[in-house]
Amino acid sequence: MTDTFDHSSLPEDEFLAAEYALGVLSGADRAGVEQRVTRDHGFARLVSDWEERLAPWSAEISEVVPPPQVWDRIAATLPTQTQTGGLWQSLTFWRGFSFAAGTLAAACLAALIYLGTLTQQPLIATIEGGGHRHFVATIDASRGTVAVVPAAFSPDATRVPELWLIPADGKPRPLGLLRADQTVTLTLPTDLAAFAKKDAVLAVSLEPPGGSTTGLPTGPVIATGKLTSL
Amino acid sequence: MDLDANRSLIAAALGRIPAGDRAALQTVYRLTSAKLFGVCLRILGERGEAEDVLQEVYVTVWRKAADFDAGRASPMTWLIAIARNRSIDRLRATRQSRKMDPIEAAAEIADVTGGANSAVESMQADARLHGCINGLASHERAALRGAFFDGNTYEDLAARMKVPLGTMKSWIRRALIKLKACLEQ
Repeated sequence: MTDTFDHSSLPEDEFLAAEYALGVLSGADRAGVEQRVTRDHGFARLVSDWEERLAPWSAEISEVVPPPQVWDRIAATLPTQTQTGGLWQSLTFWRGFSFAAGTLAAACLAALIYLGTLTQQPLIATIEGGGHRHFVATIDASRGTVAVVPAAFSPDATRVPELWLIPADGKPRPLGLLRADQTVTLTLPTDLAAFAKKDAVLAVSLEPPGGSTTGLPTGPVIATGKLTSL
Repeated sequence: MDLDANRSLIAAALGRIPAGDRAALQTVYRLTSAKLFGVCLRILGERGEAEDVLQEVYVTVWRKAADFDAGRASPMTWLIAIARNRSIDRLRATRQSRKMDPIEAAAEIADVTGGANSAVESMQADARLHGCINGLASHERAALRGAFFDGNTYEDLAARMKVPLGTMKSWIRRALIKLKACLEQ
């Protein structure tokens, strides 16, 4: 009665994938699985499916903030250049440039027609998270302003709330710092006006005093809201 | 809503890494390192070693971000799998499993749940998995926990639970079959 598993219930490959994801295999068997994952897509899929099934169990594990030198060591191993080859050497850039020049005339015409019919309506977003309405924001793109009224936002002793605009491309753009005790009117940068459209998302993250220095949220996003027409 | 926003922030940052965007890796690190360090520390049990492995994990993320498929996997699942796998590989390379006290299945006490939930975990998937795990026999649950949280091998678990190796394999495989069936319901 030592070897009674029911082989008919799961294929042997799937057992192997599940055992790897669970972490029960010995070193040699793990190395075999890791080798196979790199060349067998079907098998790699079985492994990632089991990782997906078991991942929620990790919610039991408490978060522990690592010491700051870990990031310093990671940063030291990264290549210092963020781009290889400059803009002027980039074929893609020149292709894009000639395409842009070619379409510029058409774009100018379209813009004239658009501006003629434009009466930009203000947009509003209720910024909520964790069951609370934290802020209400109104964007007036024609005047280039973002007015943000605090609702039920409770200030954090060490961090400040920062507002972000997240358009359809998913990339957050910083709009400025908010206050828990008074309405703040921020300037909507002209290059962001085109992104301030219906269904774009406003998000609030908690940042160190002075705000994020990376141009992207570095702390937790505590509340979000979609822009809608007034 | 904030859970979804965090998930999309992590996914968007991962998407910018293949172009060589260091700030994107730093964003992923800021949003996820406490969770992943907790995972490494839980499996390895020793801070210095967990710090080394955490460093390896983010260097792996930097190199392999292009493999992440936002359409298929949750970014946290992908990151946690890397942290778990690098930690278990380290454990196997350096010594046997961390925790080798005998396990008494009957006296098994569930670890504290809740309170440790990361804002980036999906609560719903969490509740489903917990329901299915609670539906297993206590010896099966104890064996799976020893593997998942302590990085125990079949041999370790057989020793800890004082059963023959074949019996342990049969327990775990049976538990995996039940778990899959339950999650698919």
